Amino acid sequence: MATPLVVFENVVKRFDEFVAVKRMNFEIREGEFLAFMGPSGCGKTTTLRMLAGLEQPTEGDIRLAGKSLLGVKPHERDTPMVWQSLALFPFLNARENVEFGLKMRGQDSTTRRKKAQDWLERLGIGEFAERDVNSLSGGQRQRVALARALVTEPKILLLDEPLSALDAHLVIRMQGVLTKLQRELGITFVYVTHSQSEAFAMADRVVIMSKGEISQIGSSRDIYRTPANRFVAEFVGRNNIFTGTVNATGAINTPAGSFEVDTKAEAGANVSFVVAADVVSLAVEKPKVRNVFTAQLISEEFVGSMVTLFLEAAGGMEVKLQIQERALEGLPREPGQQFFLSFDPAHAHVLKG
Amino acid sequence: MRDDTVLRWSLRVYTAVIFVFIFAPIAASLVFSFNSDRFPSIPLGTFTTQWYAKAFSNPEVWDAALRSVIVSVSSAVLATIIGFSAAYTDYRYEFFGKKAFLVLALLPPTIPLIIFALATLGWLSMFQASGMMISVIIAHTVLCAPFAMAVIRLRLNQMDPNLEPAAWNLGASEWVTMKSVVLPFTRPSIAAALCLTAAVSFDEFAVAWFVSGLNKTVPVMILEILTGNIDPQINAIGTAVFMVSITLVVIAQVLIMGRRPKPESA
Amino acid sequence: MKSLARKTDLYAIAWRLPMLVWQGLFFIGPLVFMVAMSFFLVKNYRMEPAFQFSNWEKVLGRGFFWDSYFLTLWLAVLATCVTSLVAFPASYFLAFKVKDTVRRWAVFFLIIPFFTSYLVRIFAWQVILAQQGVINAGLSFIGLGPFTMLNTKFGTMIGYLTLCLPLAVILQTFSLAQIDKRLVEAAHNLGCGRFRSVFTVVVPLAKTGLVVAAVFCFILSFGDFVAPYYLGGSKPPTLSIMIIDTSKSGQQWPRAAVIAIMMIVTLLTVAFAAIGYAYRKRR
Repeated sequence: MATPLVVFENVVKRFDEFVAVKRMNFEIREGEFLAFMGPSGCGKTTTLRMLAGLEQPTEGDIRLAGKSLLGVKPHERDTPMVWQSLALFPFLNARENVEFGLKMRGQDSTTRRKKAQDWLERLGIGEFAERDVNSLSGGQRQRVALARALVTEPKILLLDEPLSALDAHLVIRMQGVLTKLQRELGITFVYVTHSQSEAFAMADRVVIMSKGEISQIGSSRDIYRTPANRFVAEFVGRNNIFTGTVNATGAINTPAGSFEVDTKAEAGANVSFVVAADVVSLAVEKPKVRNVFTAQLISEEFVGSMVTLFLEAAGGMEVKLQIQERALEGLPREPGQQFFLSFDPAHAHVLKG
Repeated sequence: MRDDTVLRWSLRVYTAVIFVFIFAPIAASLVFSFNSDRFPSIPLGTFTTQWYAKAFSNPEVWDAALRSVIVSVSSAVLATIIGFSAAYTDYRYEFFGKKAFLVLALLPPTIPLIIFALATLGWLSMFQASGMMISVIIAHTVLCAPFAMAVIRLRLNQMDPNLEPAAWNLGASEWVTMKSVVLPFTRPSIAAALCLTAAVSFDEFAVAWFVSGLNKTVPVMILEILTGNIDPQINAIGTAVFMVSITLVVIAQVLIMGRRPKPESA
Repeated sequence: MKSLARKTDLYAIAWRLPMLVWQGLFFIGPLVFMVAMSFFLVKNYRMEPAFQFSNWEKVLGRGFFWDSYFLTLWLAVLATCVTSLVAFPASYFLAFKVKDTVRRWAVFFLIIPFFTSYLVRIFAWQVILAQQGVINAGLSFIGLGPFTMLNTKFGTMIGYLTLCLPLAVILQTFSLAQIDKRLVEAAHNLGCGRFRSVFTVVVPLAKTGLVVAAVFCFILSFGDFVAPYYLGGSKPPTLSIMIIDTSKSGQQWPRAAVIAIMMIVTLLTVAFAAIGYAYRKRR
């Protein structure tokens, strides 16, 4: 795999008493699309701001391309950022906004103008170059902000919830624009978001953060299939978490039933395991497989051709099941209907801790 | 319902009367300045420009006017620099003792001018620095800075807190950002602050009277004529003074109100 | 390695210094010096540094001073009440009975006199209020007058109103306009009469703003010397006129400083008491 472009080493950030980031160690690879995700206040934005030099780490070191960034002021770094508020300069027009970074690098006006125009055209807003930024639409302003950050040809681009102010349909469009750009340019994107769909749709790797700590780093698939801990499993939200005690035969007794799961835990130990919503099977007749339990239908929710069923198993446990709508044809679907649910032991992922 | 109409109309008339009361002296001074009577009354005398002619042919008036212009321009510039720095500090930083900093920045207008005049006279005399034009400039700057600060602070309120970081992020140092982002953003309010503080200084007489010595400004001159006797020249000079300060205040207000905050996101 | 926040942030300091230095040197400096000056001695029209209480004894020991003190206090209180009451109906009208644009224009116009020559306006009143002035001439047509208005308390009040009224209307309008109009309507629905609702609902809700407006009126009229001198005739003098007389003609700066300090102490006491009252029992 590619070499690390950014290294965080034992980074701690405290604001007075509040610890925003607790001893963080990770690497950002060259050319990857990395997304930081977590609830608000988890430290993801602080991490990004430290990378841009807007916050100084209280402890530890951050290296970019092998060089320590400690004491390097924001304007001495080449880490352009796309801001949540966009932070376009309201007294400059679109082209002048894009030119700003080039001007600071001392490039002459002809070069600046040409590069800025090229970038605006590349992002499909060339005709708005001379327009007041306040008169542009949300999507157009977004593109101006992108062009402004990319025009200096950086190795890395920081994005702080850049799509959070856009309408849903524009978000999807901009996601496409961003992934395409990242592929074409081959530069590193570091993307902070609280939106799972944005992170999973675009990122090569996702960093899940909680309370100033990294809970898990991995591909969308890793995080979904094998969450590192209960927080990640719950945060991802499409998982069923079972908790119970290992019995004498090695199976786990939970309120919903007794299940065989691949675990090395000894009898009597408390164990939690995750079964993703899309690996649970459903039947009206009791199937002859392992790990069968019963549950009653409560409600359902459509997302495109997929449907999510919400059921209640014994002990009041809510079970989520994601399935192709077509697969449900011919099945009774009134609320209260009892189903037999089951899952393959290989699909159960035991949580640590 | 009839009650409501009566109430509405009486309030309307009352408010109109209040406005008449407030603007009567300004209007009267304008009317009297073109009136031939030495002691204007009803019915008015004939139209004349003799008071203007008399005032404008008086070299002392011109000296005072020149001094007033120098004093108000200098104190406006100084006060705006100080007011801008204080407003920017308040906008950008949190620090120990900030409350005290703000109290110090905004307190001067609440001290009666006559007291500040006496205190400044004593203080500047100790350094042999009273009785000069610069003494007036120094004191007026103190009085004007809070107004400049208030006007500029209001504009900074409308600035996205990420605007400066965005400029650093694109390679501008803090000083360059000040020049290429903060100053352009606050420009209308800086112009407004200059006008407003110039108007305050141009009309101030108590402190100027105490510390100007022989270097009388226009308001000090008016004060001294007033102490002597009724002299219609004052109406002519006063009308000219009104025109200057009203123009400055109106420009300031138009600059402040002109740029409405624009939505940051669509 | 530890990276501490840079202690010597030149940029930050550069923006703090102008205000601190200037207001420290030319605002705090003079005021502190004035306190020191009140203990100085004057010999042969020259001030000499000393630490004597004689100025304090001479000023505070005279009935003359205390007459003037209570007169000034009384006039300022009267001006505050008169201005607040005169301003209120107009502020009420501007806050509740007109459109936003009208209100904005009204404030726009009210700001203008506040920043224009007070002195010239007072001179205009002198001419208007004179024995043969516009008002008496007008009244004589309907067989009234002439009334003596100059060199009376009435004249002084006209001057104080000229000084305070625009600011009072602005501040009152702002505080009244912030009231949730639904509360006033609710009071009406509960059968609260129109005038009663003004005093039981509107005034309490806008209390803080109304008190702040009154405090500004008090500060302005307590310290003003132009109205009591040129319209009120200065007999007896107010404290501000006494400061002028003592310092300008008598060269007795230390005694003037004593009067000034007494004024500041009074202003601070009144202002703090009023603001304390304004914020009490809220929330």
